[in-house]
Amino acid sequence: MAYSSKVLDHYNNPRNVGSFPKEAADVGTGVVGAPECGDVMKLQLKINPEGVIEDARFKTFGCGSAIASSSYVTELVKGKRIEEAMAIKNSAIVQELNLPPVKIHCSVLAEDAIKAAINDWKAKHGKQVEATPADKAAQG
Amino acid sequence: MTQAQCPSCARLQAPRLFCPDCGAPLAVELDYFTALGLSRRLTLDSGQLETLYHDLGRRLHPDRFANRRAAIRNASLNATALLTRAFRTLRDPVSRGLYWLELHGEKLAADNKRVPPELAEMIFEMQETLAQLRDAASGSKPERENLRAQVASAHQRVETMLQDALTELHGNFERWDASVNPNPDLLVQLKAILSRIAYLRTLARDLERALELHDLR
Repeated sequence: MAYSSKVLDHYNNPRNVGSFPKEAADVGTGVVGAPECGDVMKLQLKINPEGVIEDARFKTFGCGSAIASSSYVTELVKGKRIEEAMAIKNSAIVQELNLPPVKIHCSVLAEDAIKAAINDWKAKHGKQVEATPADKAAQG
Repeated sequence: MTQAQCPSCARLQAPRLFCPDCGAPLAVELDYFTALGLSRRLTLDSGQLETLYHDLGRRLHPDRFANRRAAIRNASLNATALLTRAFRTLRDPVSRGLYWLELHGEKLAADNKRVPPELAEMIFEMQETLAQLRDAASGSKPERENLRAQVASAHQRVETMLQDALTELHGNFERWDASVNPNPDLLVQLKAILSRIAYLRTLARDLERALELHDLR
């Protein structure tokens, strides 16, 4: 399967790879996985008290599309308010990276990683946390 | 299930791979257990499975029907393909478990994005060591050997965890087979064990590849 040039660009020059200290009060961490292929993604967001995402880091172990999707979202969320970031849909990632149908789950993973990271930050600050699909699965 | 008409003797038969009256293959869609003539049980004797596969494969072989009508020839091709899919799926415990989920209207990926935290922790730690090994290509020999040893021991640990997960999977299979009205928890557990196996297999593969690459240099 051929990757699009944007996927290759993010894959070869991933933006914002790395991590922040997980315990820091201004850092939200989201770890999500795709059990059908074993990919694991960690997204960390540095969020200021006004709820604006100031910086992002990721570490993803998986296919090129999963790495590209997470690299792209670190750029996408920077400067956004958490409400805006929560509203990011995987379709925006699919469109930007031109992902083929078999790789759409990678973009879903990246969307869920944003939500999980924001929810982690909210939980640290005693805010109401929105249930994500991952949370529902954990309860069910 | 509806009955199937035999393309050779035209009798109506209960869904199975071949007609019990004249031996011709039947064109039917069957679940993999029925195709192999097995009851729906998760614990399988691999020897028995293989014997069934070979026996049925001989009886349905397209060569035996090469001179028959097109409908019979096609039924033989379809039945052979179904038999092969059934055998390959049921032979391996992991793919058998995944197929079981499917039979119960479940999917491994559905509402299942949370990686158990301690497993995620271990994955990130080991991948970190892997990255160091990759970056150390130009480093000193003792440094590289030390990292190689770390990756090799991580690989050992993951293989042991995989074995344990497969044992756990087998335990889950036995509980399914022992219950008349299976507890819904069994499905949740099955999904969790299969997910764990998927993450561990991906990690094991990455570790193996890195070791191979390192040893090639």
